[in-house]
Formats: sequence, structure tokens, C-alpha cells
Amino acid sequence: MKVFDCPVIGRRPISEFDYVGEVRKPPMDADEASWAAYVFNRQGAPGLLREWWYHRPTGRWYVMERDTLKDEVVRFIDLEEVRYDIPA
Amino acid sequence: MPWRLLKYGLKSSHDEPRFFPESRPLKSHYDVVIIGGGGHGMACAYYLAKEHGITNVAVLEQGYIGGGNTGRNTTIVRSNYLTPEGVKFYDTSLKLFEDLSDDFDLNIFYSTRGHFTLAHTDSALRTMRWRAEVNKHHGIDSEVVDRDFIAKEVPYMDLDCAGHSPVMGALYHAPGAVARHDAVAWGYARGAYNRGVEIHQRTRVTGIRTQGDKVTGVETDRGFVSCNKVVSMVAGSTPRITSMLGLDTPIEIFPLQACVSEPVKPFMDTIVVSGSLHVYVSQSSRGEMVMGASVDPSVLHSTRSSFDFVEGLTDKMIDLFPFMSRMKVMRQWAGMSDITPDFAPIMGKTPIEGFYLDAGWGTWGFKATPVSGKTMAWTLANDRNHELIEPFRLSRFTDFDLVGEKGAASVGH
Amino acid sequence: MTSRLDPQPLEWLDRSETRSFEFEGQHYIGFAGDSISSALLASGQTLLGRSFKYHRPRGAVTLANHDVNALFQSSEEPNIRGDVTPLAAGMQLTACNVNGSLAKDRDQIIGKLSRFLPVGFYYKTFHKPKKFFPLWERLIREKAGLGRIDTGWSVRRKAKTYGFCDLLVIGAGASGMQAALSAAEQGLDVVLVDENPQIGGSLDYQLVNEASAAVVRARLKHDVQNHTNIRVLPGHLACGWYTDHYVPLLGPDGIIKMRARAVISATGVMEQPAVFRNNDLPGVMMASGAQRLVARYAVKPGQRAVVLTANSEGYRAALDMVKAGVDVSAVIDMGSLAERGVWADELNALKIPVLERHTVYEAQGKEQLKRVVVAPFDGDKCDSRDAREFDADLLLMSVGWAPAAQLLYQAGGRLAYDSTLEQLLPQELPNGIFACGRLNGAFTLEQRLADGERAGAEAAAFLKGEPLIPALAACRDTQAHSHPWPIVDHPKGKNFVDFDEDLQLKDLVNAAKEGFDNIELMKRFSTVGMGPSQGKHANMNGIRVLAAVTGRSIDQTGSTTARPMFHPVPVQALAGRRFRPERLTALHPWHLDNGAQMMEAGVWMRPEFYGRPEERAQAILREVQAVRTGLGLIDVSTLGKIEVMGPDAGKLLDGTYTMRMSNIKLGMTRYALMVDDSGVIVDDGIVGRIAEDRFYVTATTSHADATFRTLSRHIVEWGLDVRLVNRTGTLAAMNLAGPHARKLLKPLTDIDLSEDNFPYLGLQEGTLCGVPVRLIRVGFVGELGYEIHLPVDAALQVWNTLMEQGAEYGIRPFGVEAQRVLRLEKGHIIVGQDTDGLTNPFEANMPWAVPLKTKPWFTGKPSLALLKERCQRSLRGFMLPQGYSGELPKECHLLIDNGDIAGRITSIAYSPSLGRYIGLAMVDQPLASSERMFQVRVDSGALVPLEPCSTPFYDAEGVRQTVDLTEVA
Repeated sequence: MKVFDCPVIGRRPISEFDYVGEVRKPPMDADEASWAAYVFNRQGAPGLLREWWYHRPTGRWYVMERDTLKDEVVRFIDLEEVRYDIPA
Repeated sequence: MPWRLLKYGLKSSHDEPRFFPESRPLKSHYDVVIIGGGGHGMACAYYLAKEHGITNVAVLEQGYIGGGNTGRNTTIVRSNYLTPEGVKFYDTSLKLFEDLSDDFDLNIFYSTRGHFTLAHTDSALRTMRWRAEVNKHHGIDSEVVDRDFIAKEVPYMDLDCAGHSPVMGALYHAPGAVARHDAVAWGYARGAYNRGVEIHQRTRVTGIRTQGDKVTGVETDRGFVSCNKVVSMVAGSTPRITSMLGLDTPIEIFPLQACVSEPVKPFMDTIVVSGSLHVYVSQSSRGEMVMGASVDPSVLHSTRSSFDFVEGLTDKMIDLFPFMSRMKVMRQWAGMSDITPDFAPIMGKTPIEGFYLDAGWGTWGFKATPVSGKTMAWTLANDRNHELIEPFRLSRFTDFDLVGEKGAASVGH
Repeated sequence: MTSRLDPQPLEWLDRSETRSFEFEGQHYIGFAGDSISSALLASGQTLLGRSFKYHRPRGAVTLANHDVNALFQSSEEPNIRGDVTPLAAGMQLTACNVNGSLAKDRDQIIGKLSRFLPVGFYYKTFHKPKKFFPLWERLIREKAGLGRIDTGWSVRRKAKTYGFCDLLVIGAGASGMQAALSAAEQGLDVVLVDENPQIGGSLDYQLVNEASAAVVRARLKHDVQNHTNIRVLPGHLACGWYTDHYVPLLGPDGIIKMRARAVISATGVMEQPAVFRNNDLPGVMMASGAQRLVARYAVKPGQRAVVLTANSEGYRAALDMVKAGVDVSAVIDMGSLAERGVWADELNALKIPVLERHTVYEAQGKEQLKRVVVAPFDGDKCDSRDAREFDADLLLMSVGWAPAAQLLYQAGGRLAYDSTLEQLLPQELPNGIFACGRLNGAFTLEQRLADGERAGAEAAAFLKGEPLIPALAACRDTQAHSHPWPIVDHPKGKNFVDFDEDLQLKDLVNAAKEGFDNIELMKRFSTVGMGPSQGKHANMNGIRVLAAVTGRSIDQTGSTTARPMFHPVPVQALAGRRFRPERLTALHPWHLDNGAQMMEAGVWMRPEFYGRPEERAQAILREVQAVRTGLGLIDVSTLGKIEVMGPDAGKLLDGTYTMRMSNIKLGMTRYALMVDDSGVIVDDGIVGRIAEDRFYVTATTSHADATFRTLSRHIVEWGLDVRLVNRTGTLAAMNLAGPHARKLLKPLTDIDLSEDNFPYLGLQEGTLCGVPVRLIRVGFVGELGYEIHLPVDAALQVWNTLMEQGAEYGIRPFGVEAQRVLRLEKGHIIVGQDTDGLTNPFEANMPWAVPLKTKPWFTGKPSLALLKERCQRSLRGFMLPQGYSGELPKECHLLIDNGDIAGRITSIAYSPSLGRYIGLAMVDQPLASSERMFQVRVDSGALVPLEPCSTPFYDAEGVRQTVDLTEVA
């Protein structure tokens, strides 16, 4: 079973996490086609993928950059990097 | 003893013709290049040659024939889908399956077993009724059955599930069947080869050349071949191929695992699926219990096995079949499932002229093998989506016109 | 007749304890420490089983679980592997897969017909005509499979444990023990496992008579067992290698899920058979198999032996046989004596004839080896014209080895063929994976110790992060211990490559010629390596055959993937203990005490209704009527309950839910609808405002965790200053509903319940029965109602008080079913029942919940803007005609319009308030917008008319949820 060596909580088995998928930012002023592309399309090809992982026991969020071919976490992304503003 | 076996025994030498060609050089041009030598690719080649007379075709396979998900699935064939488009499509497939052995003159061991999808909650039972009603409307033999019916057909199953989540009923689909998966690919491959199609194993596609928005050829690790039409039929490798063209799709790859027990004498004739418990099982003609669960929870381009899969599977399986705790798991494996957001395939033409897609098969690819080959061959020959696959066109995601198969989701192999 | 030898120096037997057992109706006696096979062999029973396909007689071959010749059946278990299953007293065994008895197996006839059953024959026949296939299939299936299961067997489960270590060393032979010591000396926490019940590996059977090994053996065993950093686990099988060095170890007490930081595979080599006619006869054994039999079980493998060899180990085995009192007639060497070293010299001294450059052409005998036919061999072909015969009841094969590299392959290691050793060897190993010993080409004892030392040191350096220069090949031997072509053709065949599957040489050759000339295709077509041994004794020769047929090298030919498990693993050990977590509300005991029928709601248990199962319908009706006319109380503790606090709380909720939440007035609530990016409804609940910067959110039972997760992710990605507390488990909740609700509560609470102070949709904090509570005016069931949220430990007290005090108003507890009816009368949807995986709010008839114009953004808004004009279906209310008494429609029955499917019923129930059946249906356009009658097809196929109508069905103006009964009246 995969183990993630996470900041703060240390080494944790993948079974403690919920996988929430690719990190994406919604285009705020998109036309129909690019909005649909945002909603449905994914980076399906093997390679580095930024993904949301939720650690259930602690309620922590991690964004990892993972090589989806080798199943290796390359780095943990600073959550500031995935932030975006929503219109209020 | 059948005559054919007598003939083999009485001959002094084994002079059976080859199923597939020996390795030979690639030609410089083909009318159609099929990427992927699995069931779908071989079926497409077969029907292109047989029904459309298109034989200047090359099937390019990076590994060996049927070595991807064709050889890794759990071989269940059924047509009890939720949506009319799904039902029509898979029913056509099932009917083609029934005649394949004759078509190929190769026994694919197509064996009608009956297929139970168990319901452990009233909401699951509601979904079963929905599926049954849609099926019946389209003339498919499906019905919601009660515990008594199940107990009669599968008397050795513990309907109380050891006291948790008892079985409340099931969707019973009498035509549900299993078939020898490899033989399906081999039969199509032999049929295509005998009609002039070229099959190139160990040939990996490394790029697709285009001019403007039009395909002109395919780069491989054995050199370039020009062609007018390319169809990608590579399941778990689809995003790798589409990314060569910069074509975005909703497909994500999740491993789907399975395992078999040691062989035991046949005792189980039916196929049993439990969505709530995330397990399904049938017994192969070799006597092995073929078992699977749902796809892994995170994206991975690998066919590695995981121990948690086999732990979870066996734990749930013996709630249904307590005696199976005395058996042994012999081998586990995985395939890479190409999953779409609406659990329906993506088929037909794409925005790139001459590039066709047959993908998004998730966990349902095997049962669609004949109909995919047939409709994709038609689509390639006519450069127009076959009516059966029109609902599965890629552009549905731009049009927000998804297929409603998700309602019957969870495990549905 | 007994073949039991005098006590051997390292035997596993406890001769003080005899164990009697039964096999095929005969009584036998063995010792504690015997395996089933060794006990039978000791008693002279050399026929142990029948082969899978041809039902050929089979005996012991490896004694190491590399073959399944000796497979037994008991009344408790199928497929018992006699070679490695400890003998237990009182065992009652029969042979597996025989028709009749082992001695008189009627299916032996199939072996006579083998020429009619060429490779892949079943693909080529039985399918014409189509209608006969089911008959053939039944016949074939009857012959398939091995043991029999009894479907009446009860469940067995073995608990699992977790283990952790720095370094897991798999295989406790010479190199493994040395590696463990080497790493332990570096301070690592080491676990050393071996599948055998005793450590020592081949040291203890192959080198048992080797004086020089005695000192090494004593030192290694003593040191590993006494080293504080080493835990030794004999009798534990490493089932497989899984991601991040996760290796389940199957032991007698169950599985230890071992998590290591690095792994050394010292798993050794598996001896490979020579392929010649009748190489499967009882009496034909691996040399190492005979050595195991003698050293471990003190059983003499035969009286008169011939040894076939292509390495020095064969001479060692011959010497061991002599020592065990076996008359060794000859050693047949496929090469020359000059290459063999000291053991050959020792043998020569005994004047035992050695035939160089010869091989075994054929074994003869019916149920037991009688004669060995040998002939000159040029390394490729055998010249049968110069054949010679030897009488023998034992033939040892010592012609080569295959690495037990399964775990290396699983870990992503790469092996390459070494033409010096004529063996596959590790070429490239992934991080944290090491290999040593014979598996890695180290054959002499010195090499094995040095290689173990090296691997242990490398693993230690790796784990300490020290610079590492891998020297995988440093200690390898420089001469071959395997023959590159231990295979002899024979015109009459029966020269088996795979004993499990009864595959002969010609089967593989023919498969390749038919185009299955890729190793994986050959495996799948011929089934080589697919049997229970998973190719342990068959794959290497299979690869050699294919390479020869295709003219490719071994590396070009490749090998099949080695998937877990290493040996088959019992389901009872894999499944482990049964663990089905259930969540129970604080009121659960009360529900049980008061006759509730409980139902599963996700992980929760909830009352479905109160009463006996047979009076379900009346009970539900009673509960509905209580709510409508008096009072009802339902436990809704399973609702998700989330506190949302902080300056950006409003912004978080605005972005997450369709409607604006930031402008909810203090002390008020609002319906909360959540959709995903694509506009599909995923959850609903309410949001209430407790303070300027504090909200209280509820979610549906099944989506509660996901809603909490979504909110917490939005905080991160939107950079908000908000804190969440998930109070689902710490707060109970109950809904008091009915026209007397206010009257009942008034004397019990300090909250001002007046309509002015606490209107519909209001939220107030205060005390109830002295307990701090939050009250919310809700209308889900359509009566004056208060949802009471309170600490779980006070829930029972408040519930009891309400039940007692409410008696005068006819209060009743009500369950999920009554709530479903009540909400349906109000036309409220249940997400997941009235919606499906693609339903958007417009389709669910809730355009009022989608403020496209007034809100700049919420999750899913752009999708809903697109979907608004494209609705293809709509949720509509309907009623069965007044007085309808025919067959009742059910949920998910289809609406039919002009012969086509036009929707489905999502909810239907008898409404006691209206006196007729009502329901909701998801109706396709254009039917949904028309005023036409709907038609639904019921079970019998009949079409039943439905009258479309608007919702709510009951109290459309919502008067009742705001006022007391007395005021209504």
C-alpha cells in the first residue's frame, strides 16, 4: 500500500486519504466551450499531476505533485499556489 | 469425440495454419491505421475487411495481441444497461457475441450463465427496477427478483450477508454470459489477418502527424507510416495517444483489479455482482473463481496489484459465500480503465479529420468488443458516426449532453 | 514397508510424537514434523496424486511447493498441498481430482487420448453446431477444476496484525541470514522470514553432509536468533511485494502486514526439471527434492537411483543418496566431469559410473519408475540409437535453476539472462530493493555469505542515506549451474514441460508455430505456467523452448509477469476479521426498546417505522396521521451538522451553495442546495445564521462527510479565513412536528416561541428541559415543526420528556418511511431518489434556488446558466385517479408516451391526508410541459393513467407550518 510522507503528519498510508482529483482553477469569464472543457476535461496522460488529497483523520488538505506513471510523489505544493479568488 | 479432434489425433504432424502473421516490415502507406491490437482493434480490422472490403489496414500493437484490458477483464457479457442508448448498443454486442464462435470457426466458449446484480438497499432495488423496466421496454430479458428466487437459483449464497446489509432482491439478467476473452481477440485477429489486414505486434506509436487539422500518418518506433485514417482503440493508453494531437478529453485512468482462486470443481453457474459490497464473481471453465471489485480510487497509469484490493474483496466475498473462506487466492492482476464522467464510452469522429476515437471504456470494454469493432469500422468506412454510437460522441461534453448511465453506477461489470 | 531412515542430523521430525491419519481409506502413521507427503512416502506410498488433465500417476518432485503433484482433499478443505502441509493427527484425506480412487482413476483414459487433444484443442472444436456447445461445455467443466468445495462449509476468518521494520529479509538461507546480520550490525531493525518452519534454507538439505558448512550453519543460526536487532519469523510466507515495501507475511496464525523501509530478497532458486519422456513418473524427482526428503523428513527416496546432472550439485545429491543408503547406479552428466569439482571427485572415489555427455532419453514404468533410458547428448540433441538402460526406482534431476525472483519482478526489478551462469539474474533493482544469494548468482557458500554481507551493507547504507555504490554482481559465480537446453524430444511425447497443466514439449512448439510466439500469448494459448504452481517449475523451460523455436535469445523472448501471490493464500487469512462499522444515534437504544424496525442509512442505523413488520403499512399511516393531527417526533441525528465560523464564513457559503447565504438575517435559516461544477445536484440542507460571522449548516445523512470535505477544500483554495467544526457526531437532532409542537415546547424552554420572535425558518438558541439547544423552525414534513439540535448526551433525556409531556397531544415517534410520505405530500425532493447522477436544479423544478442574475458566482453557476435553456426533463407531481384500485405503480416504473419511454416515477406513496396515491416523476419533454395525462407501465405491463398536478400536494400555501392547530381551526 502506498505511503505518503506528508508535512506535519508524517508517513501515512493512502487508505487514510480521500482522492479528490486534479487541481484546477475555474475560468471565471469563459465562453461555453472553454467552460465545458474546464468542467469535463482532465489531464489524462501519464506524467506529473497536481492532485488534491484529503487526510480524513486530521482533516488536512494536501496538494501533491505525483508522477502518475511511477506512483511517486515529487513534491508537496504550497497551498498558496493553488489559491484563486472567487467573485463576491 | 468431435471429428476435428479425431483428425488431429490421426495426423502425424501438427500442420495447423498460423493464427497471426510473423513479424514483417511495415509498409509505407495504409488506408487505415488501427492503434491497439486488443479486442476492439482486432474487431474493427475484421469488420473493415469483412464488411467494407477495406484491407490495406495495419493494426499496431505495442505489446502483444489482446495483452491489454482484453486479457485482463473478467469476461462478463451483458446488456442490462440503464439508458436506451446503452441497452441498444450492448444488446447488439451480445447478439454478435452469440454467433462469434461460428463466425470465427473458433470456440470462444461463450457461455450463458445468468447474471444477478444484488440489491442490499431499497435505493439499489429502485435502480434495479429502473434498469429492468428500461431493459424490458427494449426487449431485453431482465427482471427484478426477490430473495426467494435468488435462493432457488444460488442456494449456497448467504442472503443475510452474515447479518449486515442483507440482500433484498436482485436484477436478474438471464442472457448474462462469460466468454474466453483471449479467444475473442484471437478470433478477430485471425479473421482480419486471413482477409489481408496486417498485424504488427511490438510496434509502439510514438506520434501522429497532421497537416492542418488532418491526419497524415503515424510515427512508430519502427518508423513512419502514412495513412488517411487513424483510429485509437487503446483503452488505458488513450490519453497518451490523444495528447499527441493536443486533443483534450475527459478520460482519466484508474486501475481495475481482479484475482482468481485456485481451480475447484465447478459448482457455480451464475454470475453474481453486488454493487453495495463492491464485488463480483463467476467461475471460469478452468474452475477458478474469477473475482473483481470496483476501480481503484486514484489515478494511476500502472497495472500493479494492491494488497488492500484482495483484502477488501475476500472480506466481502465470504459474507456472500462463507465456504469460499476455505479456498485460496492464486493470482491477482490489474488493468488500466479509461473512465469518463458519465460512465459511457467516447466513440467516433473527433475535431481532427481522419482521427477517430474508441475509448472511455471504463470497466465495460470487453462486452462491447464486437459492436465497437462493427460500428467503428462502419464509421471509418463512411466517415460518419454510426447511429448506434452517435450518443457516445466526444462533443457531448461540450454540449452538456451526457449519457445517463451514471444512475446505474457503482459496480456493474 | 517403511522408507524411514534413522534420525538425520537436522531432521524436522519430533519422533516422540506419532500421528496417525487416513489416506484413500488406508491408515498411516507419521511423526510430528512430517508433511503429508513425507509421511506417505515414509510408509512406501509413492503414488501421491493424479495429474490435472491426463490423470497420470504423480509422486513427489520438489517437496518445496514448486509443483502440485501431491494435492489432497479433506472434508474441510480442497487443494491441500501435501508437500508442505504439516501432518496433523486424525487427518482424513483423499486424492484430488480423481474419478473413482487414486489407484483406480477411471479418467486415466484421457491420458490415452492425449494425441487427440492437441494444444488449444478446445478452441478448435465443440462449437459446431452451436446448440451442442452447452452439452460439451458441461462435460468439459465436469473434468475441469481440482478439489471439491462443500458449499455448506462455514466461514473461517483469521485475524491480521501489522508489523513494521527497517529491513525485511526474505529467505533465511545462508545469504539471507548473513544479510540480516550484516544489516543488524549497522543498527537496523531487521525482520528475517522464511516460508519453511525452520530456518537454514539449502544449507540444511543441500549442504547437510558438508563438513565445512557445519560451522557456518551453527554461527549463522545462533547469531540471527540471538541478535537483538533481528526478529526471526520462520513459517511465514512473503505473499507478494506491494507498493512502498508492503509485504504481507502469511504465518500459521494469520497474516502480518509488514511495512518495511527496504527489502532484501534472498529467496534462492527453484530447481527445474529436465524434459524427457515420462519425466513425470513417480520416482523421478528434483535432486533437491530428494535431498529435502532425506534431510528434513528422514525418508529414503528410493532403493536404486540414477542421477541426471548438469552441475556440481548433482554430484552432491548423489553422495547424499549414497549416504542415505540408496544404491546409485550411475550419474548421467549432460556435460563433462572436468567442470564439476570436488563433489565429483568424491563420487569418483566411490567408483560410481559417470556417463559424460549423456542425458536421460526416457523414463519407463507404469505407476512407478522402473527403468531409465540414457543416450549420448551433444548439448542440443540426443542420439537414441546408442541408448542404454538402467533399472532404477529413483531418478534425480539436477539440471538447472530458476531464480525465485517473483518479488523482485513485482517490485519493478529487471532480470537479464546471464550466459555464464545460464540463469536469469537481477540486472536493475528499484530503490530499496536488494537481492543476494543463489537468486543473484552466488552459488558457493563463500559467495553466498559474501553476497549476503554485501546486500546487508548496501541496504543499511541506503536506509541511512549514505552514499551507495551497488555491487550487485560482485559475488557471482563464474560457472554455470544450469543447462541451457535440458530438453529432449521424443517421437512418443509425454515429455512434460508443465506438470500442473500436462503440457508436453510439442504443445509449446505447436503453439509457437501457430503464431503464439510471444511468451505471453504462448502462456495464454497453451496455459503453460497458469496452473496452481504458477510456472515455478515450468516457466524457465517454456522460455527456453520458445527462444529455440523463434531463434531469439532468452532476453528477447522475455518472461511472463510474476504477479502476486507467491503461493496461493487462503481467503480466510486475506479476509481477516470481519469489521463492519455502524454508527448509532444517541437514541438508538430507545428506538429498539420501542419496537422500531431499523434500516441502514449509509453507515447509520435509523428507525424505518415503529411496529411489527407485518403491520408496516398501518404503522406508517399511524405515524403520518400523528404528525398531521397531533405530534410526531423523529430522530434526525444522522444529518450532517457543521459549524462555520470566521470573517469569510458568508463568502464560503455563497461560493459553495447556489443561493446567497451571506445576507441571511441573524436568527434565520435558508434552504441550501449544492451542485457540482457540472450543475448536478449533490446535496441539500439548510444554512442558519448564529452570529455575524457564524453559521450552522446541515447536510444529508449520506453526503455529510463529503459536504464537510468540500467546504474545507474551498477554504483552502479560496484563501478564506474560516474555521469549520464537524458536529455530526457530537450533536443529536430531533424534529418535533405537528400542530401541537409549540404548545408542547412552550413550558419546556426559555426561548420565546412567538411567531414574531421565532418565525418559520427561524433559528434560536436557548435551553430546553434545562439543556442547551438550538431550535430551528423547519417545514420538511409540512407541519409546525422544530428541529432540536442538542448535545448527544442530553438527547435521551429531552426525547423522553417530549414523549411524556406530549402524550396528551397523541405524540408518536415516527420513522424514515413516514417522513418520506410527509415530505412527498409537501412535494419536497430527496436528493438521490428524486434526482439521479445527472439531475440539475431546473430539472428538479427548483429554478427559484438558482439565482443566476443576482449572484456573481457559485460552484456550478456557469454550467447552470448553460443548462437552464436546455432542460430535457422535469420533475412533476402526479396523482393516481381518485378511487383507483388497480395494480399500483412502483418507484422507477416508466412513463410511456406514444410507445416511448418518457420518464419514470421517482417517488410514490399513499397520502392519508389526500386519501389517494401521490408521487413525483421525472418526465421527459415535451410531455413534462404538456397538460396531458401521464401513463405509467406497471409490473404486469398494463398502462396506468396518472394525473399530472402541481406540488405541494398538501397545504400548498404553507399555512400549517407557521401556525398552531387551534389557529388553523
